[in-house]
Amino acid sequence: MPVLTAAPTEIYESGDSALRVVAISEASEDNWLTVHGLADWLENCGAEGLHGAVPTYDSVLVEFDPILVSARQVRAFVKLGLLELGRSAGPAAAPREFDVPVVYGGEYGPDLERVAEHQGISVDEVIRLHTEKTYTVRCLGAPAGSPMMDGPAFPKPVPRLKDPRLSVPAGAVSVAGRQAVIAPAVAPGGWCVIGQTPLSVLNIRREPLVPYKPGDLLRFRQIRPEDFSTFAGLELEPASMEPASILEVRS
Amino acid sequence: MSGEILIQQPGNSVVTDLGRTRGPRFGLPVNGALDQYSARAANILAGNLDNHPLIEITALDFRMKAESDILIAVTGAPLTLTVGGRPSSQWEPVSVRAGETVSIRGIHRGLRAYLAVHGSIEAETLLGSVAPDTVVGFGLQLKEGTRLLTRRSVGPVRQPYFDLPLFRLGLERPSMDSDLLVDVTDGPDVAEFGESGELLFTSEYAVSGRSNHIGLRLGGELPERTSSGEVLSRGVPVGAVEVPSREELLVLHRGRGVTAGYPVLAVVTSTGLDVLAQARPGDKVRFRKTTVAEATAAQRRSRAQLETLRESVNTVFGLLGIGCRPQWQDLPVAACS
Repeated sequence: MPVLTAAPTEIYESGDSALRVVAISEASEDNWLTVHGLADWLENCGAEGLHGAVPTYDSVLVEFDPILVSARQVRAFVKLGLLELGRSAGPAAAPREFDVPVVYGGEYGPDLERVAEHQGISVDEVIRLHTEKTYTVRCLGAPAGSPMMDGPAFPKPVPRLKDPRLSVPAGAVSVAGRQAVIAPAVAPGGWCVIGQTPLSVLNIRREPLVPYKPGDLLRFRQIRPEDFSTFAGLELEPASMEPASILEVRS
Repeated sequence: MSGEILIQQPGNSVVTDLGRTRGPRFGLPVNGALDQYSARAANILAGNLDNHPLIEITALDFRMKAESDILIAVTGAPLTLTVGGRPSSQWEPVSVRAGETVSIRGIHRGLRAYLAVHGSIEAETLLGSVAPDTVVGFGLQLKEGTRLLTRRSVGPVRQPYFDLPLFRLGLERPSMDSDLLVDVTDGPDVAEFGESGELLFTSEYAVSGRSNHIGLRLGGELPERTSSGEVLSRGVPVGAVEVPSREELLVLHRGRGVTAGYPVLAVVTSTGLDVLAQARPGDKVRFRKTTVAEATAAQRRSRAQLETLRESVNTVFGLLGIGCRPQWQDLPVAACS
C-alpha cells in the first residue's frame, strides 16, 4: 500500500524486543496507509533480526530479536522505511472483494436486539445499516487474524458487553465501539454478536490462514436461517474481479 | 538412523519450539516455549539447534519410553528425573537405551520443564513453527500412546564405572523461587497512569490460578489509568503489563492476542518473561524498573552463557562421536558401556 507522503510519526519503546510507531496526522486514512505501508516495507526489507510488524489503525508494532539487532538500529530502519514510502508510490494492489452471507439475530446473533434498543432503531434498521456499507479490512487482529473494520453508520458507538462471553463461535459477526469484525475461530469475546456467517474464514492448511488482507473490501448480505446449512463448510473466498471493483482502488 | 519415543504418561505436555515469529503479522500470537532460556539450554545440551522442536512439560508428572537408543536433556523447573529407574541429572545430556523409561516427577518449584532429544522431534509446522496455537487449534498435545519420531538415534553413551553421570557441563541454572523478581521497562502508555504507575514497583503481587500461556493474572495494589476514552486496537508486545479490570493486573505472555485496546503500563523484559514462565499460582511477584539498554545487556549475558555451553557440548560430543560427523561410527562408543 504505497502512499505519497508518510504521515508524521512518533516512536515509543515497547520493551526490549519491540517498538511502537504511531502515525499522528489528523487524517486517519493517511495514518492507516502510513502504518501499513511501513509494515510492508519492513517485511520486505530483509533486515536481519526483524521478526515482523503488526499494523493496525494508526500504529504498527515492530518486533525484533535484540540479540541480532539493536532497538537503535530498528529505529533507523523505521525512519528509512518512512522515507522510502514517499519514493515508492506506484499503483496500489487492487483490493479484492468478499461477499459474506450472514444470518442475523436469534441464536446466530444473540445481541442484535440489545444493539437495536441501545441505538434507538429497529432491528431491521440495524441489519440495513450493517449490510449497506462496503467495509475496508483495516488490519488483522486477535483472535486468529480477525478482519478489523470501521463499523456501520450506527447513530452511536456500541458499548462492549459487561460480561464478556467465554466462548463466541467461529463465524460470529460482531460490532463494538465504531468497529465491526468477523471471528475466524472460537474465542472469548466482549463484542456484541449480531449475526453469524456459515462460511469458514480460517484454514490452517493455507498460507496465509485467512483469505483477506488489509485493504481488501468486504460486504455483508442477509440470508435466511434455513439457508445457513447450504453455505456451511464453504470457505470465504474473494469474489471474481469485475472491472467496476477496480475503479474503487484508492492510491 | 531415526529414533522413536512412546508417551506413557503425558501429564500436560506439548511439542513446541521457540515460537512462530511470523505469526503476529497474520494475527497469530508467537507462542512457543514460555521459558526460552531453559528451552534453548535443553536443545543445546542435546546437540540440537536452539529452535528445534522439543517437549514442554507443565506442572504434571510425565513418563515416556525410548523405543530406540536416544540422547536427551531435561531443563527448566527442578524435578526428579529417572532413566531406567536410575536417578539422572537435569541440565546435562543423558543417554537413554532402547526400552528404558524416562520419568519426570515432582515439579514443585517452578512450573515448566523442557525435554529435548538429540536429533529433535518430527512435528507439523504452521508458518514455520511447531508451537501449539490453542486458538486456531494447531499443535501436538501429547497423549498416552503418542509415538514421536526423532530424526536421529544415538548409541548408548555411559560411564563405565558405576554408571556415574557422564557429563558435568555446569551451566548456570536459573533460580526458581516462590518470590519472583521481574524486570520491566516503561510501557508506551505509562503516562496514562500518572503517579499511580509507581505502585507497580512498590507493591507485591500474587499469581492467580487463572494464569496461563496467554497471560498471568496478578492480584495486588493496582495502578489506575487517569485518562479515559476508547483506545484504538493496537499491536501489543509480549510482556505487556495492563490493568484491564479493577481486580487484577494482566501480564501478557507468548500466547497473547496480538492486538488489544488497553494501555500498556510496562513491558516485562525477555529475561523477566523466562522468570514469569516458571511462576506458580500463589507465588509472589515484585517488579523492578530497568531500561531497554540494561535489559538488552542482561539478555546478551544470558545468551553468551548459552554460547559457551554450546562450545563445550560441541567439543564433548565431537570427542564421543555423537552427532552426524562422518567419523562417528568408527569411534568405539560401545566400549564405554
